[in-house]
Amino acid sequence: MTSTDRDTEALSALMDGEAQELELRRALDAIDRDPALRSRWQRQHRVSAAIQNQRLDDPAVDVSRGVREALEAKPRVDRNPLWSMAVAASVTLAVVMGGQQLMSPANQVQPFVAVSELSGAVVPVSGAQPVQASLGVRSLPVETRQAMPSPSSNANTAAVYERLARDRYTRLNGRHATVAAQSHPAPYISYVRIPEPQPEE
Amino acid sequence: MCAFRNLSLRNKRRTELPRYGLRGVLASAALAACCVPPVLAQTDQQCSLATEGEQALERMLLAAGSIIFEGTVLYEREGSRQFLTVTRADALGMGELRRMNAQANPRAESWPAPIRSRERVCDVAAAYVPNVEVGRVVAGRATDRLTLRPRDTLRLAHIIDLDSSSGLPLAMVTVGPDGQMLERYEYAAIDYHDRTAGDVVPESGVTGENRYKRGRAVIPGYFVMSEDPDRGIFVVSDGLATASVFVEPLPSGAPAGEGAVIEGATLTYTRGVPSSNGGLLISVLGEVPVVTARLLADAVRASRSGS
Repeated sequence: MTSTDRDTEALSALMDGEAQELELRRALDAIDRDPALRSRWQRQHRVSAAIQNQRLDDPAVDVSRGVREALEAKPRVDRNPLWSMAVAASVTLAVVMGGQQLMSPANQVQPFVAVSELSGAVVPVSGAQPVQASLGVRSLPVETRQAMPSPSSNANTAAVYERLARDRYTRLNGRHATVAAQSHPAPYISYVRIPEPQPEE
Repeated sequence: MCAFRNLSLRNKRRTELPRYGLRGVLASAALAACCVPPVLAQTDQQCSLATEGEQALERMLLAAGSIIFEGTVLYEREGSRQFLTVTRADALGMGELRRMNAQANPRAESWPAPIRSRERVCDVAAAYVPNVEVGRVVAGRATDRLTLRPRDTLRLAHIIDLDSSSGLPLAMVTVGPDGQMLERYEYAAIDYHDRTAGDVVPESGVTGENRYKRGRAVIPGYFVMSEDPDRGIFVVSDGLATASVFVEPLPSGAPAGEGAVIEGATLTYTRGVPSSNGGLLISVLGEVPVVTARLLADAVRASRSGS
């Protein structure tokens, strides 16, 4: 394997977040030395950005500088694979965060629209993340968008609305099941979702 | 009154007779349509269903509606399991359902015949990417696995095992935004019956077509299916997922805020919007992600009061 091959491999490992510290330093030195490798580094970042639906507005941005700074900021602990992994991980984070920041100046980038032009209504919310099913009606954390005066009042408000949601589920689920059955491929499933009606006395 | 409305309906006639003490509160509320991208706002009844996945979807939504059968079904969500007997005795009428592990001698509950509409198939195909592959054996029958992957973040995913012969969905898993199973059902056994002379099903497969009357798009891919503005009740659907929106006066003293609970695939989301004349409590129930419920709540707008 030639020196160029080794440098290219180290660069790939760096991009994949798999570089050990030694490879990382070698890659950064090689980037400094070799314009072709530097160009490849920037090209790979552009591809990575494109995959993530970002736009690289300034291809000349030197992400490697941020990486090197992150590397130098870490105390060197040789021959400890765990520390090496930690350094590699933190450098990867620096690459991702620094890269995103540098590649996405706020005044130039058009935000990625996941769904549609909805005047900003579609936003990442914690409640849209993993949802646990449960036997009982279960709370779903919903990141509030209102400015709340204090954490305690925020929690109180959340509790108020969780109670309201539980109550509305109990009261309105039967009505919802009736209409939801119209669209379900197996209409009876909508009825099974509501609690068993109690026998009349 | 409140109403689902889109921008073109801004000045539409307002009716009177608010109920539940809604006068003065809901008289000034309306539900506005968000900007809906054309691809999802309009689907064509004559849409092209060219792929195998789309054809499997069509088969499920059209052909399965006319089948006469009885079977035993297992329904599960986390911590809950129900065994059901499901019967459909005639092709056009109501079916019956009994919950076998709820009580002795369970009573029969009725369920409606599925809607059979090509327009609905087109709506679903516009909102989900259908893919079909060879499925497993369910209830002793070969199946095709139809995966409905949402085209955006506003709906859940479904994995459906269709009877290869009849198109009936013999098993279905509903999956949340992170790939987590929310609920599932599966037939343990099923028997098909021949139609009797009285069970006339049009060859065109349009039984129930008149029941699929969708209105305007409110958020991408979701159309108003019914609305009762005077009572503050709205139903939207993308052809597969359904959400009900209820608007009522905000309980006295309730602050602005929001909350949600989930059971199985059914989300209940509430939002309080205080205002000078009392405010609104918006509740969204549906088999939808939180982001969809929020968008629907966002669509509730206060218009000029008292008019």
